[in-house]
Amino acid sequence: MTAPTASTPQTKPIKPGVIGWLGSLADAAMAAPGAYRQALRRHRRRTIILTVLLILAVIYPVINREFFQAYNRSSSFPLPFPEDAVVTFMMIFCIMAIGLNIVAGFAGLLDLGYVAFYALGAYTAAFLASPHFGSVSLVLFSNVPPGFPGIHLPFWMLVPLGFAVAATFGVLLGAPTLRLRGDYLAIVTLGFGEIVPVVFKNLSAVNLDFGPIHLVNANLTGGNLGINPIDPPRFFGISFGSSSGIAAVYLGMILLVGAIVIARNLERSRMGRAWMAIREDEIAAEMMGVNLVRTKLLAFGLGASFAGVAGVMQSSYQGVTTSDFFMFSTSILILIMIILGGIGNIWGVIVGALTLTFLDKTFLPYLGQRFQAISPDLPNPSQFNFLIFGILLVVMMRFRPEGFIPSRQRAAELRHAPAGQAIGSAAVMGDAALASEELADTLAAEQVVEVETEAAVAADEAAEAEPPKDTP
Amino acid sequence: MDQIAQTIIIGIANGMIFALVALGYTLVYGIIELINFAHGEVFMLGSFIALVLITTVFKITAGTPLALMVVQVLIVIAITMLATATLNVSIERVAYRPLRNAPKLAPLISAIGMSFVLQNVALLIFGPANDGVDRILPNINVLSVFGITNVTISAEQVFVALVTIPLLLALSWFVTKTRQGKAMRATAQDPDTAGLMGVDVNRTIAITFLIGGALAGAAGVVQILYNNTTVWNLGFRFGLNSFTSAVLGGIGNLQGAVLGAMVLGLINAFSDRYLAANWTNAIVFAVLIAILVFKPTGLLGQQLADRA
Repeated sequence: MTAPTASTPQTKPIKPGVIGWLGSLADAAMAAPGAYRQALRRHRRRTIILTVLLILAVIYPVINREFFQAYNRSSSFPLPFPEDAVVTFMMIFCIMAIGLNIVAGFAGLLDLGYVAFYALGAYTAAFLASPHFGSVSLVLFSNVPPGFPGIHLPFWMLVPLGFAVAATFGVLLGAPTLRLRGDYLAIVTLGFGEIVPVVFKNLSAVNLDFGPIHLVNANLTGGNLGINPIDPPRFFGISFGSSSGIAAVYLGMILLVGAIVIARNLERSRMGRAWMAIREDEIAAEMMGVNLVRTKLLAFGLGASFAGVAGVMQSSYQGVTTSDFFMFSTSILILIMIILGGIGNIWGVIVGALTLTFLDKTFLPYLGQRFQAISPDLPNPSQFNFLIFGILLVVMMRFRPEGFIPSRQRAAELRHAPAGQAIGSAAVMGDAALASEELADTLAAEQVVEVETEAAVAADEAAEAEPPKDTP
Repeated sequence: MDQIAQTIIIGIANGMIFALVALGYTLVYGIIELINFAHGEVFMLGSFIALVLITTVFKITAGTPLALMVVQVLIVIAITMLATATLNVSIERVAYRPLRNAPKLAPLISAIGMSFVLQNVALLIFGPANDGVDRILPNINVLSVFGITNVTISAEQVFVALVTIPLLLALSWFVTKTRQGKAMRATAQDPDTAGLMGVDVNRTIAITFLIGGALAGAAGVVQILYNNTTVWNLGFRFGLNSFTSAVLGGIGNLQGAVLGAMVLGLINAFSDRYLAANWTNAIVFAVLIAILVFKPTGLLGQQLADRA
């Protein structure tokens, strides 16, 4: 960068290379306590909660491995503690839930084929970091030996590529379909979600003679067997694959933190407010100058890109990807996560994703084992996970459509919007009975709610930018 | 040429089964603008009910005398239709009616949940493997009566037509000629006004689900006797095919649903025959997306453009 000038004497020159990078990290670390104290002064409760959660999240994988799983290995009565692989998948599903929340929660566009973008991300990584295309050899920044068959790109390159591929397809699908509203859009996305895995499944023996392209029995996608093996993520010579235990959990956690930061910033951006505006009333939003096509396309593309990154993580982590991983039921699983947690609220959907992944991959199989231990004739609940999830969907829609941890703004909308008026809004799913019941409880809150509009959000942001006025 | 004629016959037979299920989608969408996601599952359960009735209750086999078989098959059809109609009305009562005034994506999500519930109930009861019956109807070529031997119309295909066509005529009569049918059309146009005119809207909607469920049950019997097999996740693919038919014909439009089902049956048959069976589903979905994008009103459409 530039050398220090007289006007900014406190700026230290940034040295190039690793030393400089470490130096800037140290600078940030030294500045951090000051920034933290400032944050603590402003939002005491929130900052403390976030800090505690962050510390818990960081130490949980170690505790889980060293104590909980160790207990399970030695005990005659194991408890449902998730395996490291399940915790990694919690991270992957959290990323997907956050992405779907952008489309369905913020912008109110119900996407029933979200799994397609997950598949696109997974196959992007599978094509570009595996010996699958064995007739070529392209090894780039990867610790695979040079000359090894296939294309091998490093994980840090695959993540933006998966992001870009999924976003591109999101925009490609969105461009012609986004003028459809509500349930028709849901069905179109469902169709797309079904086509993509079929394409990946079927392109295993392609014969094509078209212009300059000559394919004879070309196995493009691995067909039913999928692609296997895929290079595990590697940084500094350390593998973060499925055999790495908690290392992969931390890699997933880093991606998740990135996803949270991006989604939080999007939510509070001009675009985020535009999304919520079209969710609440498309026509009114258009009248206020919101460009519907651009706004919806961005929601679709950005939402899809999160699934692309999750897909890259899935296939790199597991080392295998087949079209069977990308069923309609996975799309619905992600949908249940965000509905259960609280559609529109990032923290809610994370809780939903953690809970559902835990239920699906740890608790129900655990119950199954317990049942089998009692009697082999008892049904295995893990085989009927979607019976439980289906009931959950019906019951949630009936009794608590806003989820268990709804966003403040969403709760406000639910109490204010006359039910049924919000056309095509997946988010505004209040029912009138619920609204009137809770209205009495929240008369006081309503005053707050009134100002909790776009302008208030903007004012909030402005207030944050100002130096803190209150003194403890 | 023979091959093409044969493919057309298969396509039309497929199309008739699609039509029975597609009518359920289109009736419900026409009246409450809900994509009844669980409808395919009602059809699937209908096929299982028919399977149980045929194999364990009546024990119909290829050796059963023809007259007795006709009576028994009619009873099977009646019981199955009754059962699926009841099921469909109960689903409406439990999962959709409480959400009548909610934004319209809420019942859609509820329907998806219901669909998973029904699939897993079938999985729980009947297990994950395909279930089937032995061929019951005689193995004959009906066209051989006319001296044609190079194209085949099987007894099953005649059976499909014999079940489907009277049901379609009966439905058409019911909707256009009866008082209740008039109430249905009025509710579809404007539920509030229909209510003010003395139509019991909830009852009319329940009757719509009843009819849709009964038709799905008949389709289930036909499925078992025509394709001789069923499985717990049959409803999803089949339901989407039928829904595509309904959209193709113009959703909410009864003749459109039948026409769309025929077209889609033909698309299925030709794709299976001349392309590859493993691409058929992708083609069906591509057709669905293309219609929704370019002509959301379908072939015979209604004025649904601003609803879509």
